[in-house]
Amino acid sequence: MIPLHASIHRKMLVVMLATAAFALLLTAAAMLYYDLRSFRQLWVTDLTAQADIIGFAATPAIEFEDRQAAADYLESLKGKPSIIAAAIYSANGSRFAAYTATGGKAVEFPALPALDGYSVKGNELDLFKRIVSGQEILGTVYIKAQFDMFGRLLKYLGIVGAVMALSLLASLLIARRMQQKVTQPILEIAGVARTVMDKRDFSSRASKTTEDEIGVLVDAFNGMLAEIEHVIDERKRTQSALEDSESRLLELNAELEQRVEARTAQLAAANKDLEGFSYSVSHDLRAPIRAIGGFAVLLGEDHQTELGEEAKRKISIIRSEAARMGQLIDDLLAFSRLGRKALEPSDLDMAEMANNVYVRLDHADPSRTVDFRPGSMPHAWGDRALFEQVWMNLLSNAIKFSAKKKQPVIEIGGISAENEHVYFVRDNGAGFDSRYQAKLFGVFQRLHREEEFPGTGVGLALVHRIVTRHGGRVWADGKPDEGATFHFSLPKEASDGGV
Amino acid sequence: MRNAFLSALLGACCIAWSGIQVGQAQTAETVPVTERSIKAAYLCKFAGYVEWPDARIHAAKPLTIGVLESSEMADELIRITAGRLINDRPVQVRRVTGGDSLAGLHVLFVGAHEPERLDELLLPARKLPILTVTESAGALSDGSIINFTIDRERVRFEVSLPAAERSRLKLSSRLLAVAQRVQRTPES
Repeated sequence: MIPLHASIHRKMLVVMLATAAFALLLTAAAMLYYDLRSFRQLWVTDLTAQADIIGFAATPAIEFEDRQAAADYLESLKGKPSIIAAAIYSANGSRFAAYTATGGKAVEFPALPALDGYSVKGNELDLFKRIVSGQEILGTVYIKAQFDMFGRLLKYLGIVGAVMALSLLASLLIARRMQQKVTQPILEIAGVARTVMDKRDFSSRASKTTEDEIGVLVDAFNGMLAEIEHVIDERKRTQSALEDSESRLLELNAELEQRVEARTAQLAAANKDLEGFSYSVSHDLRAPIRAIGGFAVLLGEDHQTELGEEAKRKISIIRSEAARMGQLIDDLLAFSRLGRKALEPSDLDMAEMANNVYVRLDHADPSRTVDFRPGSMPHAWGDRALFEQVWMNLLSNAIKFSAKKKQPVIEIGGISAENEHVYFVRDNGAGFDSRYQAKLFGVFQRLHREEEFPGTGVGLALVHRIVTRHGGRVWADGKPDEGATFHFSLPKEASDGGV
Repeated sequence: MRNAFLSALLGACCIAWSGIQVGQAQTAETVPVTERSIKAAYLCKFAGYVEWPDARIHAAKPLTIGVLESSEMADELIRITAGRLINDRPVQVRRVTGGDSLAGLHVLFVGAHEPERLDELLLPARKLPILTVTESAGALSDGSIINFTIDRERVRFEVSLPAAERSRLKLSSRLLAVAQRVQRTPES
């Protein structure tokens, strides 16, 4: 009935008019109902009175037998269109005068008058009324009338319609004027609310003009606006403070990064210097030590006859120590070279590689009988030469440290964990004290005496360096005389982007 | 036809008071309807449309109808007014002869006479509040208030208002409405 988006102005108008119209309709309906109900009775009363008047007026006409006069009286009924016929009967029951409405159909008059009263047939009413003068009954007036219920209803509805139209118009005018008092403050609030929404201006306020519920609404609205304004101010302040600290943080971060970069560069430079230094030192040391070894050989061979046994023993010590030093320097060079060389990664069948390396090592000393137990291993992605070195070092270590056992056992294998492949080499050899685990992978760090197990102490350091360069880890566990297990892991996805 | 009607009317007039149903026009009293009987009935009825001066003072007294030298009419009147009330008053019929005092009369009927004689007979009633009723042509000019006429075999009457005024009588307009003729100004 009322569109949802209609303004409160129109809604109130519609409500008022609907109320007025409803009340009017109800009143009209009640009146109509009552009127139609009482209409007949009223009508009968009216007709009876009419009959009485005619009877009274016509009394002398009857008494003095003046039919013309009686007919004249009846003729006066012309003014009542609902009366279609009338008659006056004399006291003896004969028709004395009669009247038929002009244009009406022919009416059949009753032969004899009936008693006082009326009878209804369809929408026609027959009414009889005696003419009494003093105590004498002089005659009877007969009236035949027609209900015009429909006509009356129509007339009534017409009046109701006109009254309703007029009163609705009046209510419209009154409502227009009066509702302004109610709607004006609401419209004002709405206007302010719209401004607030459109312009995001929370500083505007609605003006309070009434002390009713709308006044309370205005107060609440203004209070809310103030609260929102306050909250927004607070938020702005917090935000600006946050932005300040953030920018400061960013500055600090940038500064820090710069510093880290600078330090890293310094470190890299220092590292490079160090590597270059160690390389050149190693390289330069090789020549004199070869010379020492060579000349010791020449001394032993060329002056064999002149030298005593003790001198020969000492010369051989010089030779072996020079050789050891040469080996040391070679290892050091290899280690140092590792840092300078670029990786050339490819797919590696680790099981095959480990087996080949073991076979090569085993052939070097056929007298030994080692129980070699190779397991399955996942493929890896890495530098072939470097991993051959890794296997070489780990397997030769295992052979070396298990050599003194009656039945040496060497076990190798690998598994795939979630993000990495893990490989191991296990032996039942000398083992080590786990307290020194940290020392295992350092350069020149040794846990055993040279006489017990020969070596330069570079092997495991090399393994550590190669594995970490590939993004993996190295660790070991073991117990003295119960063997050791060396593990290394490689990421499934190579750190340099290969698989 | 006309006679039958008149008879019925007269009969009803006389018997309706006793409570007999209207319409059942009984003609038990087989009185022949004559001009005389109609005039007698009319005479009774005139009283209903006339207002006498000091009516209230005389209300309790019987309505007295005098009949001058017409014993037929007197007989007829006595017959139809026996035990009957007119204007709630009993009716008394008095035979009057010329020269009798007219005091106490309400209505005076004078039978048909020559105008000179009539004038003479009516003279004493002129100054009294008496409704004079005559049945002679031109009687109004002789001072009569109501005069019976015959119009196409029907009994009718004419009325003289100046005469009524002179006698201080008020005639109902309803009566005038059915009069054949109403004389409103004194005849020259």
